[in-house]
Amino acid sequence: MTGWRLMARQIVRNPLSLAGVVIIFIFIILAVFAPLIAPAPAGHRDPYLIPRDGFSITPQPPSSEHIFGTTQGQYDIFYGCIWGARTAFRVALLVMAITILIGIVLGSLAGYFGGIIDEIIMRITDIFLAFPALILAMAIVAAIGPSMKTVMIALSVVWWPSYARLIRGDILQLREEDYVEASRGLGASSGRVILRHVLPNAIYPTLVMASLDIGAVVLSAAALSFLGLGAPEGYADWGQMTEFARNWIVGPQDDPLKYWYAVITPGLFILFFVLGWNLLGDAFRDIFDPKLARR
Amino acid sequence: MELRSYIIRRLLLLIPVLFGVTLFIFGITMFFSPTQRATLYVTSPQQMRDLPSIIAQYGLDRPFYIQYGTWLGQVFRGNLGWSTVVSMPVGRAILHYLPATLELAMCATPIIILVGIFFGTKAAAHKDRPIDHGTRIAAILGWSLPTFWLGLILMMIFYGYFRGLFPPMRLDPQMEVVVTSAGFVRYTRINTIDAILNLNGPVLVNALRHLVLPVVTISTVNVAFIMRLMRSSMLESLGKGYILTARAKGLQEKVVISKHARRNALIPVITVSGYLFAALAGGAVITETIFSFKGIGWWAAQSAIRMDIPSVLGFALFMAALFVLVNLVVDILYTRVDPRVRLGGEVQ
Amino acid sequence: MENIIRIKDLTVRFYTYEGVVYAIDDLDLDIRQGETLGIVGETGSGKTMTALAILRLIPYPGKIESGSIVFFDKGLGHELELLKLREDRMRSIRGNRISMVFQEPGSALNPVYTIGDQISEVFLLHRRQELAQRARQRLDVLLQDGSGPAASVKRPLWRWQRRLYNKIAQDSNPLEPRLLGRLPLFRRLLWRMKHEAKLLTVDMLKDVEIPDAARVATQYPHQMSGGMKQRAVIAMALACSPDLLMADEPTTSLDVTIQAQMLELFRRIKVDKGASVLFITHNLGVAAEVCDRVAVMYAGRLCEVATVEELFLHPLHPYTRALLDAVPMPGKKLETIPGVLADSFNPPPGCRFHPRCPSAMPICQKERAKLKEVSQDHMVACHLY
Repeated sequence: MTGWRLMARQIVRNPLSLAGVVIIFIFIILAVFAPLIAPAPAGHRDPYLIPRDGFSITPQPPSSEHIFGTTQGQYDIFYGCIWGARTAFRVALLVMAITILIGIVLGSLAGYFGGIIDEIIMRITDIFLAFPALILAMAIVAAIGPSMKTVMIALSVVWWPSYARLIRGDILQLREEDYVEASRGLGASSGRVILRHVLPNAIYPTLVMASLDIGAVVLSAAALSFLGLGAPEGYADWGQMTEFARNWIVGPQDDPLKYWYAVITPGLFILFFVLGWNLLGDAFRDIFDPKLARR
Repeated sequence: MELRSYIIRRLLLLIPVLFGVTLFIFGITMFFSPTQRATLYVTSPQQMRDLPSIIAQYGLDRPFYIQYGTWLGQVFRGNLGWSTVVSMPVGRAILHYLPATLELAMCATPIIILVGIFFGTKAAAHKDRPIDHGTRIAAILGWSLPTFWLGLILMMIFYGYFRGLFPPMRLDPQMEVVVTSAGFVRYTRINTIDAILNLNGPVLVNALRHLVLPVVTISTVNVAFIMRLMRSSMLESLGKGYILTARAKGLQEKVVISKHARRNALIPVITVSGYLFAALAGGAVITETIFSFKGIGWWAAQSAIRMDIPSVLGFALFMAALFVLVNLVVDILYTRVDPRVRLGGEVQ
Repeated sequence: MENIIRIKDLTVRFYTYEGVVYAIDDLDLDIRQGETLGIVGETGSGKTMTALAILRLIPYPGKIESGSIVFFDKGLGHELELLKLREDRMRSIRGNRISMVFQEPGSALNPVYTIGDQISEVFLLHRRQELAQRARQRLDVLLQDGSGPAASVKRPLWRWQRRLYNKIAQDSNPLEPRLLGRLPLFRRLLWRMKHEAKLLTVDMLKDVEIPDAARVATQYPHQMSGGMKQRAVIAMALACSPDLLMADEPTTSLDVTIQAQMLELFRRIKVDKGASVLFITHNLGVAAEVCDRVAVMYAGRLCEVATVEELFLHPLHPYTRALLDAVPMPGKKLETIPGVLADSFNPPPGCRFHPRCPSAMPICQKERAKLKEVSQDHMVACHLY
């Protein structure tokens, strides 16, 4: 069990994880200061809807007005990408929070009490895990009706089983530890034992998985939006913007890569966002992996 | 215990699993109206127009367990319902679209495994040196790529610049004609294998050309798993006592790594490879959609979007069966690779 | 030369995350021909590292900083400076002229290969020519005696194989079989050598008193008991009749009854094979049973070395005395050595043992004692002398 300071030092030492932290930090700045960096024009109602400069279908190349250009329907790419960072954080953090919460509750119940409760919960997670995540999410979204909220619900439903399993596994391991026995011997109730002793130690693998999963969640959300099952048209979401670009992959004969800005830019934002979290998560994994302990 | 009886035992276990899965999903469908659920029992386009009679016929306003039983009865008769999405019975849809996905999975899995094992081993053998860092960066990068974005970029380059080199879908229209003609026997409906079996070179080449981009897309994103797993597995293996013994015997480092360390490190990788194949066979939804490579993933995605309940249920059944099968194969492989494990999973 | 191994000024350092560790600090030690030398010491004394240094198998992050290890190769008839040898020459010595038995037989064996395979590996690595000769001899017999229609068909194949094996027998690494060995189908042609290796393996297993040797050779490590595994590991080490056998705590992980058998085996090895043995242990009783001379190490340094009777009857170094006193005996009060083991990262200056030494003098804090011959063949490194 490493102290937080030691962990921070190890992260800063490693150039890869440092890069990850820097990237995430940049995105946080973009998200927090979105209204300043990409202000909505006067009178614009919902800041999450990308402002349109006209209604022409053809994307326009970058210019002084539109730094990244505009995509199909004249939506400003720059605006979309910056506010997209906000959307990404919203989705990622909310889904993670719900998932981990459900995972902790169900995982603790299963791990600590065992028996029938454990069996039932495990079978349910089995069923969820056997089904391809994306398709399940698609089914849920389609059933309820596409929107960002639905996407978040669907992703939470799809993701919680892995956390329940993880926490359960940790608890099973930690349950046998001596200090838990000692605590029970002193008369502590089950709940207290879980909260004060078992969970704090189970946090670390969860942290590893969570930081790696944030990237995966954003990727899945983007995929859903890309398929038209997520953000409504014109919403500031990276996946949604990439969907627009689908029709413009190939330009006219003489200039096939003409609309590259519409295709590449939103995807690049997704890539870096996910990359940052993955780098961080990878560093976490190395730090907390007992087998790869440094000499 | 004997191999054959073991297999039979495991396949029998498939049944309760299928029960569980279908019960679960069937339960979810109960949230829908009888009209929608009626589509589960339709076998032809004509019946679609006469849903009320279907509702009556199958008692879709009756209690849950009766409905479930009725549906199960239909399933045993081979009737999985009508897929509105592709206008054919669900069962036939599965068989129709499976070969494409299998083709993808069969091409991608070996590439992913071989590349992953190769670089994972190198990374572990040269820990903390440039190759180790390089593979790690490549792995993380690959894993961070949005699949659809990678696909779009590849399409941009290869449809835009290098027109026609690696086209979308499974075959060119001319080849499509050849494949469906009388002279060509479709043994498996997997175009590459069929082309080989029919000794038809042009079809083979064409099929392969259409496969390149989807396979590259899938492989790039998934190779990270295997690479990282192989690396950590090798590192664990290299830390064991028998490695020191091997060196003390005077073996070359090359041999120590390939013969002694790697053999042990491969064991967990085999399990993961099995699941990887299952996941790919379950359909790489995005890839199939982007490249119009109509496989099971594409079909399932369309069904989910259009709320085609029979298709979704049928797909769930298929996935459950696939899962159990893959588990079985992985378990058997395990016993072949690790002498400590016997059939039945007891570790000695 | 009277010494099969002569170690001089050996220093091995470990460069770890937390600091530099002197695993071996300026060590001088000799192993004489045909003797069983014991190295006794606690964890961290450097005894295992000494053996690994001889084989040049010090693991990362360790490095052999300085010193010399001279090995007298009986086959060649002259001395070799091991630390300056080329890696491929060193490899031909490992497992062949100098071999090692490790502490945990369970983890020393690869779980995915049979015992027979692992022992045969040594023969196939170091005894290719001999194996090829035997194969050739068998083929000669076949070519001579073979009769009947089956034989006449196989004759050309046999002749080709014989030519192949002849080549190997004469030149240790000829081109043709090497290329063939790589091609999957033709690899089978060299199966006769594997077969000969298997026969030698079974003989080796019989030598170490493993019952039903032929069957055991086909077993996997997890199917064998601890004692059998250790015997197999010893068989592996003795396969090529090494000049020096090093054993690192070979009996520690075994039951007491098996221990006794194992020690008996070591005694027999000494007599039958005429090999020199470096026996590493922390158990004085075991050392007394098996060794001719005993060396005592502490914190990477040599404290005392003498014949086994001398050491036990007249221990000179305070550490040796303390070790002997600490052996539990019925009726005697249990003595311990006060203090804690020297910290690897920040060892005490001067003599490493001085903080715990009952006879410490002021000079012990400042200067390290040099190894001196105090009486006949009895050397101590202590300021008392």
